[in-house]
Amino acid sequence: MADNGIGTSHQANTALIQASNLECKNLYDYLRTRPSTLLDRLYNHPAICLAVYRELPEIARQYVIRILFVEQPVPQAVVASWCHQSYSKEHTHVCQVLSDLFVWHEAPIPGGLPGWILNSTFKRNLKTALLGGGKPWSMSSALEADNKARDVSFLDGYSAERWECVLHYMVGSQQQEGISADAVRILLHAGLMKRDEDDGSPVITRQGFQFLLLDRQAQVWHFLLQYLDTVEQRGLDLGECLTFLFQLSFSTLGKDYSTEGMSQGLLIFLQHLREFGLVYQRKRKAGRFYPTRLALNITCSQNKGVPVLEEDAPKGYIIVETNYRVYAYTDSNLQVALLGLFTELLYRFPNVVVGIITRESVRQALRGGITSEQIIGYLKQHIHSQMLSGDNKNALPPTVLDQIKLWELERNRLIYSEGVLYSQFLSQADFNALKQYAQQTGCLIWSNKEKRTMVVNKTGHDDRKKLEIEECVKIYPNIYNRNLPNEIWCDDADHEHCIEAFQRFCPRHFIIDMMFVKSTTWPVCQF
Amino acid sequence: MQKAQNKLAIMACHSKISKFVYPGPGKPLDIRQVDGQYEVFTLVEKTVKQNLMKILTTETSTVYTESLLAGTIAMALCYIARILRTKTPGLKINSRILTVTGSGDSASQYMNYMNVFFTAQKQNVVIDVCALDQHLSLLQQGCDITNGLYLRIPQIQGLLQYLLWVFLPEPPVRQKLVLPPPVKVDYRAACFCHRELIDVGYVCSVCLSIFCKFSPICTTCHTVFKIPGPLTVKSKKKKIKL
Repeated sequence: MADNGIGTSHQANTALIQASNLECKNLYDYLRTRPSTLLDRLYNHPAICLAVYRELPEIARQYVIRILFVEQPVPQAVVASWCHQSYSKEHTHVCQVLSDLFVWHEAPIPGGLPGWILNSTFKRNLKTALLGGGKPWSMSSALEADNKARDVSFLDGYSAERWECVLHYMVGSQQQEGISADAVRILLHAGLMKRDEDDGSPVITRQGFQFLLLDRQAQVWHFLLQYLDTVEQRGLDLGECLTFLFQLSFSTLGKDYSTEGMSQGLLIFLQHLREFGLVYQRKRKAGRFYPTRLALNITCSQNKGVPVLEEDAPKGYIIVETNYRVYAYTDSNLQVALLGLFTELLYRFPNVVVGIITRESVRQALRGGITSEQIIGYLKQHIHSQMLSGDNKNALPPTVLDQIKLWELERNRLIYSEGVLYSQFLSQADFNALKQYAQQTGCLIWSNKEKRTMVVNKTGHDDRKKLEIEECVKIYPNIYNRNLPNEIWCDDADHEHCIEAFQRFCPRHFIIDMMFVKSTTWPVCQF
Repeated sequence: MQKAQNKLAIMACHSKISKFVYPGPGKPLDIRQVDGQYEVFTLVEKTVKQNLMKILTTETSTVYTESLLAGTIAMALCYIARILRTKTPGLKINSRILTVTGSGDSASQYMNYMNVFFTAQKQNVVIDVCALDQHLSLLQQGCDITNGLYLRIPQIQGLLQYLLWVFLPEPPVRQKLVLPPPVKVDYRAACFCHRELIDVGYVCSVCLSIFCKFSPICTTCHTVFKIPGPLTVKSKKKKIKL
């Protein structure tokens, strides 16, 4: 009677699957891993404070704004009372987030109760961002009107072209000009591409494909994070770059900004941003630049399902039918290549590609490390506006979506759980006793009566050791348990007793790695 | 202020006109970063100040009449409707209207108010009301209809805190927060004849118009009613006979 898979450690399971997946951090995850000194320096800039504020969870934003104008610590109980009882879990999470980011810290209030007080730099600069009254931002010095001003549509076209250049390079299509060595280095660093073993030329990795399936804002944000990782090696100041980036993200589209007063490092940074299409500059020495849509609101990437109001996203081109056919109205090689990742392409015309989603094609994508979520996300993101025009909620046929998910689940039939194997029991009684104990404590994973083997999980293994020691102590009063799972102490005279006890009560394989540590007064048996 | 995607429009009204304050008519001001404030906020602030000034200085009449609040809310709804129409398909917009007013309740606009409220309800627009001075029962009904919040500010010094606390969070977040408990809504209607709020009245059985006094002809749909005679007591007699 074999008991299969009682204790499942789901976490280990998912960890194994996601190990190779693209990890997308949001601003919070990014900043949390930075040292507090850097954060303190960053909070000296209103732009960053505003960006951080906007990225906080909604309840946290509420807390911050309410105590923004309070000059003394606010009791923690009072803050807790602002949140509804049934959401107390969310409240604790939010408090943790705020503390993690050093937005607020604990401070006792006169009555002795614990209170929260906002980080003074953060408070001052958030106020500045909201209400003014500080120093102007670095890029804001006045300019005379540009005689060759660029309008919004030009900037959009420019940024899209630049960014697609990077993406095209990644899939290795030759139709565009190349990108600089710097950009290649970032792609390699990010693990989106790797050097081919044979000729050393960069080729795309599985993370790279996942990256391509992200929406544009998430792509830019992920790319920039990787860029920022390498910023210090280039001799640029991380804080300075981050500040500039956030100032850029709060600028207005279609307006020109001055490069006056920018440090040498920032000018280099600006040139890099220019290469990726985040800013437009007519000439390297033009003295003014235009931020493009890519640079705006770069931090909003994780607000999934909240698309920006303007005509931001490129026009959708994909139509999915319930018979798994996919029609893509595009002539871009990149988009066709992406679609080819998870569909079987049937026909190709000058302006349209027809493909079909099959089990094989999806499984191939899944084998490549792409998840069903990413496939569905990509389809949703590029869906043709005709499919959205009806007021139904599911623009994509639900059957197709479900089937893609099912195909993914098909691959996850195995459940991984960590455990310890017990075998070679001397008697059936021993085996039964231990099995019963394991079942009672719920740590039995699998057992086989005929072969006298069983697998228990990790915690059960530790528990059993403790149990055995307790048994020993009960019978041999001269043995002392120090409440450590793997250590007992005994009188010197009873040293032999101790060994005997173990031999009697512990399975043989267990005794073998028993170790005796002899001390002057209390010999310790460690195993 | 809360999210980059949020958009704002501000309108002002008095007894003569209601007008857009932000985004104002004409080209937006060319604002440069001057004091560390986020450009867009500066733009809002400057435009609002400028346009409010314009409205206040052009207003010269001294005759006191009611504020055209219902009309302004209607304009706001039109603005929202326009945005809804031009949005990209598949996009969801949660819109809401916050009314901050210090003027009194005006039953004379009862019909306009009710039309506006039910339109808002149909369009899923939440109407919040922040009353600065008097209690406004009509607007309170509107908030109740559209699931908005009504709050009469007890102390005007604390206005900012109230605005930040009660009216800043969006409706989905509100249920997670502890907000002032809803007071009982006064659902009295205004009569069509004198525009006064009444507890008990007469309702036309054809068009549901409300009157405080009986009139033989409904002024709205011109139905002719019989003059009600004294209530007859007939049932008792019959019972005895049987």
